[in-house]
Amino acid sequence: MRKDKWIPYGLVAPYILHFAVFVAFPVVFSVVLTFHRWNIISPMEFIGLDNYVRLFKDRLFWQAIYNTLRFLVVHIPLQIVVALALAELLNRTVRGASFFRAAFFLPVIVSGVVVTILWQQLLGYNLGLLNRLLTAVSLPRVAWLDDPDIAMYSIAVMATWKNVGLYVILFLVGLQTVPAQYYEAADLEGATDWQKFRYITLPMINPTIFTVVVLSTIGGFSLFIEPYIMTEGGPLNSTLSAVMYIYQQAFQYYHMGYSATLGFFFALLILGVVMLQRRYIEQEN
Amino acid sequence: MAGVRLEHLAKAYDKGPLVIRDVNIDIKDKEFVVLVGPSGCGKSTLLRMIAGLESITGGHLYIGDRRVNEVPASERDIAMVFQNYALYPHMTVFENMAFGLKLRGLPKEEIRQRVEKAARMLEIETLLDRRPKDMSGGQRQRVAIGRAIVRNPQVFLFDEPLSNLDAKLRGQTRIELQKLHRELNATMIYVTHDQVEAMTLGDRIVVLRNGDVMQQDTPLNLYNHPANQFVAGFIGSPPMNFLPGRICADGPLRFESRGGMLGIDLSEYPQAATLRAYQGKPVVLGIRAEHIRRRPGPNERRFFRRLVPVEAVENMGSETMVYFPLETQRFIARLSADYPIPADQPLDLFWDLGKLHFFDAETEVAIR
Repeated sequence: MRKDKWIPYGLVAPYILHFAVFVAFPVVFSVVLTFHRWNIISPMEFIGLDNYVRLFKDRLFWQAIYNTLRFLVVHIPLQIVVALALAELLNRTVRGASFFRAAFFLPVIVSGVVVTILWQQLLGYNLGLLNRLLTAVSLPRVAWLDDPDIAMYSIAVMATWKNVGLYVILFLVGLQTVPAQYYEAADLEGATDWQKFRYITLPMINPTIFTVVVLSTIGGFSLFIEPYIMTEGGPLNSTLSAVMYIYQQAFQYYHMGYSATLGFFFALLILGVVMLQRRYIEQEN
Repeated sequence: MAGVRLEHLAKAYDKGPLVIRDVNIDIKDKEFVVLVGPSGCGKSTLLRMIAGLESITGGHLYIGDRRVNEVPASERDIAMVFQNYALYPHMTVFENMAFGLKLRGLPKEEIRQRVEKAARMLEIETLLDRRPKDMSGGQRQRVAIGRAIVRNPQVFLFDEPLSNLDAKLRGQTRIELQKLHRELNATMIYVTHDQVEAMTLGDRIVVLRNGDVMQQDTPLNLYNHPANQFVAGFIGSPPMNFLPGRICADGPLRFESRGGMLGIDLSEYPQAATLRAYQGKPVVLGIRAEHIRRRPGPNERRFFRRLVPVEAVENMGSETMVYFPLETQRFIARLSADYPIPADQPLDLFWDLGKLHFFDAETEVAIR
C-alpha cells in the first residue's frame, strides 16, 4: 500500500522536473536578474531598480517598440483580410482546392531563414525581381528594404506571406462550422453575397477572428528572424524590433540583467495588449 | 398570395438517377398542402426545389403565373421555416425577425411595426430582446414562424417544423398552425413524415414514395379511399392490417388467405362485382384496426366473425389495442375500453365487410 502511494508522484515527476528546470527556474531567475547587473563572467551585482529606470530612458528601446507596433498595424489586418479571403475562396467548391490548401500552407513549414533569404532576392534594389518588373514597365525602382519609411512594411508583407497559410486553415475550419442553413435562410430573405458575409459569416466566425488576432499579435511581437537576416535592424534602426533589441542587449553586449528587464517588461506589454483585445471582442459580442 | 403549380417536375443530382420523378401538383391560392412520406421519399427535396434552394432538373415550376425554374430563391417571394429553425444565434429575436426587412431597405418604423404585429400574433412580444440560445424549442419555433410572417410572402414553406418539439408541444403547435393559416389566409406547403400532422393540418395531402406521388387528396379521402397499398399502410395510426390471399368466384364470391386459414364470404361486400374480375388472382386484403369490432352492428350478415388468440393487449385509456396473429401477419384491432380484455383468452371479433379494402398484389393498386 505504501509503495502504491508514491506511484502517482513518480509518474508526474518527469513533467515537474522539466517544468522546474525549463520554465519555472528561467522565469524566476530572469525576474531576479532584472534587479542585477551581470555580464555572465563577473559575479552578479545587485542594482535595485536601476534597470527599470534605464528602460524608461532608453530611446532605442522605445524606437524598437514603436517599430514593432508599426509592423503589427500592417501585419495583423493584412493577415486577417488575406487569410479570410483565401479561406472564403477555398471554402467554395473550387477545382484543385486541396492543392491550393497545401500550397498556401507550404511557407508556414518552410524555415523562416529560407523564406527570408528568398524574399531578400525578391526585394533587392538592383537585382530584385520586383524592381526588375517595375523597371520593365518603366516605373522607378523602390527601395523596399533600404528606405526607412518602407522597410518595415516590406517585412510585414513578407511575414504575412509566410504565416498566412496557418490562418487560412483556422478560418477554413471556422467557416465550415457555420451551418449551411443560415445561408439558405438568408438566401430566401434576399441577402446578397456581401450581406451574407457581413451579417452571418463575420459574426459567426468571431471566435476564430479573435484567435487569429491573438496568435498573430503574439507572433508579430516576437518578430526577429526577418529583420535580423534581411536588414539587421536598419536602415537607421527602422526595422529594429523589440525582440531583436532584447537579443542584442543579451548576446552582443552581454547586458543580461538589462535584457531580462526588457524581456519582462515586453511580456507584460503583450499580456496587456491581448487582454485589451479580448475585452474589446467580448464587448463586440 | 399565389398558388404554386408543379408540372412534370424532376430532380437528379449530378447525372445520377432521378430522385423526384414527374411530379404534378396544383396548389391553389390559400391552400394548405402537406407533403408526406417516409424519410428519403423526396419530400424535403421537393420543398427545397420550390424554395429555390435546389436546382430543377426537369419540368416547370410556377408561382402564381410566373415560371420560376431559373429565378433565384431571393426573388421568389417565399418564406421558409426550417426544421432546425435556422435562427441566427448572434441576433436577438427582434433582429432575427427584422433581418429580411432590413435587407430590403424598409424604413425602421415600418420594420418595428411589422415585427411587433407578428410578435403579438405569435405571443412572443416579451421575447424580442432575447437571443435564440436563451429560449426553449417551442419559443424558437415561434420566432422562426414570426420571421416568415413579417415578410408577408406569397407562399409559406414548412420543413418538418415540429419534429424537434416534444409530443405535447407538437399537439399545441399543430392547432396554432391551423389558426395561423386561417388568420393569414396564405398558401402554405408543409413537409412532414408524421401522418398525424398531415391529417390534421392539410386541406390536401400529397403522399410521396421514392420520388413519386402516390396519391393526392383530402385527408379523409386518403384515409377512406387509399389509391394503393402504400397509402393505405402509411396513412392512419395504427397502420391498416394486410393479409395476402386470392379471390375465388367458383361458387359464392370468397376471399381465401394465402395460408388457407381464412375464408371470407364476400357476397355482402359492396363492390363484389369489381372483385369478381380478379377471380383466381392474388390480392391483398386490408382492414383498419377500428373496423374490427367486439360486437356486430344490427345487420350481422355484413360482418365476418372469427375467434382469435390474443397476443398482447395495450390499454390506452380511451381505447384498447388488441394484437393477434393471423397466418404470417400481426393484426391490430382497436376496441372500446369499456370492457376489460384478458390477454390469455381467445377473443371473438367481427370484421366489418363494408370496410374491407382489396389491392392488386402485383401492382399494389386498390381494387375499386
